[in-house]
Amino acid sequence: MLRQIKPRNARSKRALDKKAPKPVENPKTTLFLRYTTCSQLIQDAMTDLYQLRIPLAKKFTKKNPIHPFEDASSLEFFSEKNDASILVFGSSNKKRPHSLTLTRTFGYKVLDMLELYLDPESFRSLAQFKNKKCAVGLKPMLLFSGTPFEGPLTDEYTMIKSFFTDFFKGEPADKVDVEGLQYMVSIAAREPVEGEESKPSIHLRVYLIKTKRSGQKCPRVEVEEMGPRMDFRVGRVKEADESMLKEALRKARTTQERPKKNISTDIVGDKIGRIHLGKQDLKELQTRKMKGLKRSRDVADSEDEDMMDVISDDEEPVKKPKKA
Amino acid sequence: MEDTTMNDDVGTKKPLPITVNKPTPYTFDLGLLLASDPNPLVLTGRENLEDDLAATARDGAQALLNQLLTTCPIQSTPAGVLLSLPAIETSLPREKPLPPPKAQTTWEKFAAKKGIKPKTAEEKKKLVYDDATGEWVPKWGYKGKNKQGEQDWIVEVDEKKERERKEGTERQGDGRRERKERVKRNERMQRANERKGRKNGQ
Repeated sequence: MLRQIKPRNARSKRALDKKAPKPVENPKTTLFLRYTTCSQLIQDAMTDLYQLRIPLAKKFTKKNPIHPFEDASSLEFFSEKNDASILVFGSSNKKRPHSLTLTRTFGYKVLDMLELYLDPESFRSLAQFKNKKCAVGLKPMLLFSGTPFEGPLTDEYTMIKSFFTDFFKGEPADKVDVEGLQYMVSIAAREPVEGEESKPSIHLRVYLIKTKRSGQKCPRVEVEEMGPRMDFRVGRVKEADESMLKEALRKARTTQERPKKNISTDIVGDKIGRIHLGKQDLKELQTRKMKGLKRSRDVADSEDEDMMDVISDDEEPVKKPKKA
Repeated sequence: MEDTTMNDDVGTKKPLPITVNKPTPYTFDLGLLLASDPNPLVLTGRENLEDDLAATARDGAQALLNQLLTTCPIQSTPAGVLLSLPAIETSLPREKPLPPPKAQTTWEKFAAKKGIKPKTAEEKKKLVYDDATGEWVPKWGYKGKNKQGEQDWIVEVDEKKERERKEGTERQGDGRRERKERVKRNERMQRANERKGRKNGQ
C-alpha cells in the first residue's frame, strides 16, 4: 500500500485526479515485468507484445524475484505505483520454461491470473517477418476462432478471450478511420480431443489486412502475416473471486434515458402497456356450484341483516357465523 | 470462345468472392472490432498449420469487415472515411471500483428537506405580465412590480396601522421602508448562513 497523498498544489491534484476511479475509465495500461531468470525467447515475446500495445504500455527490464501464484503483493504494488491494471510477467525456469503470467488487477488487487507457456519451436518475433508493419497505436481487429472460446462456463479459454480482448482493446473509440483497420489479431484453438491429456494449444497470429477491389460494396480481404507468431499452452490459472468480479463488472449509470419497462408499440403504432394486477385471491374463485353447499334464501337474508340474532339453523353445517 | 478458367489475380472480370459461408454464423462485438468464430478450427495437418490458420483468419477478417461496412454508419470527412461504432457489448472488468456517489451539499440537504425545487425557466424570467394594465413589467428594478403601490397619491387609511405607527414615521414611504427592511433581513440571513457554513466546514 502506497502512502496516501494529499495534493498540495494544482499539478499533484491533476495527477491524482487522473488516477482516481472514474465512471468512464481511462484505457488500461499494461506493464511488462520479468523474473530473475527469463529466457531470451520470453524477453523477445514480451518486447513484441509491448510493441503492439505501445502508447498504453510500460516495460521494465530489472529482474524481480516474484512468484505471482505464491505471493502477488509485489505485482499489486507495481500495479498501484504505475497505475497499470494489466501485468505481463515473463519468467523461465526448468519446471516452467518460457512462461508468461498474465494478470489483471481490480482496484490494485489481483483479479485473475493466467499462465501461458510459449512454444519455443514455433515462436517468430515481429522482426523476423520482413514486411511492412502497421503504424504504432492503431486499434487492431480481433478474431477468436474455435469452439473452446465459446464455452458457457468460465475456464482457461474464456479467460484468455476476456484477457486478450482487454489487452488489445486500447483507447475507446466511437469512430474509427477505415484506413486505420490495418491489422488483425487472430487467436485460435482447436477443440479438445477425447482421451488426450494436454489441452489444445492457443495460436496467436497477427495479420496485416490487404483489401482488393471486388466490384461489390465490400472489398475482398487478404491477409499477410506480420508477426509475432506465438503458440501457447495453458498453465496455472487463478480465477477471479466471484464477489470481486461482480464488483468489477458493475457499470456506471449513464445519463441516457433507460427504456421504460412494460411499454411497447405494436406494428400498427398502438401503444401497449402491461400492468400488474396484484396476486389473485383464489379463495374468491367461483368453483362448481353444488346444491348441497347452497345457502337457502332465508338464511342469506338473515345473514345480511346480521348480528341481530344467533342463527339457529342446524341443517347447514357449512355455514359459519359471519364476522362483524 | 475464350477459356473460362481464368485465374483470379490475372483476369479481374470475375468479381472476387466476398461472402463467407460457415455452418455457425460469426458473432460480433463491433464496438471492440471483435469477431468470434464458433466453428471448430479446421486443421489438416502439422505442416499446413500456418495456411489453415491464415485461411481461418482471412475468413474472419472478411466477415468482420463486411459486417462493419454494412451495419455501421459511414461518414466521409476531409480527415478520412469514418465508421461510427456501436457501444461495446462484451462486459469486461473495470480496473478500479466505481467512484462513490457525491455527498450532498448543505444546501442540497436543506432544499430536499424543505422541498425546494430549482426555479423553472418561466420563474427565472425578469418580466411578468401585469393583468391590471395588460403590460409586461419587470419584477424588480426601475418601475418594478415590487414597487407597486408606493407611488399612489391617495390611499385608504388603515386605522389599526395608524394606531401602531412608530414615532417619527409617516404613511408616505411605508412601502419603500418595508422593502428595504426585507432586503436587509435577507442580507443578514445570508451572512449568518455563511458564518454557520464556515463553522461546520472546519
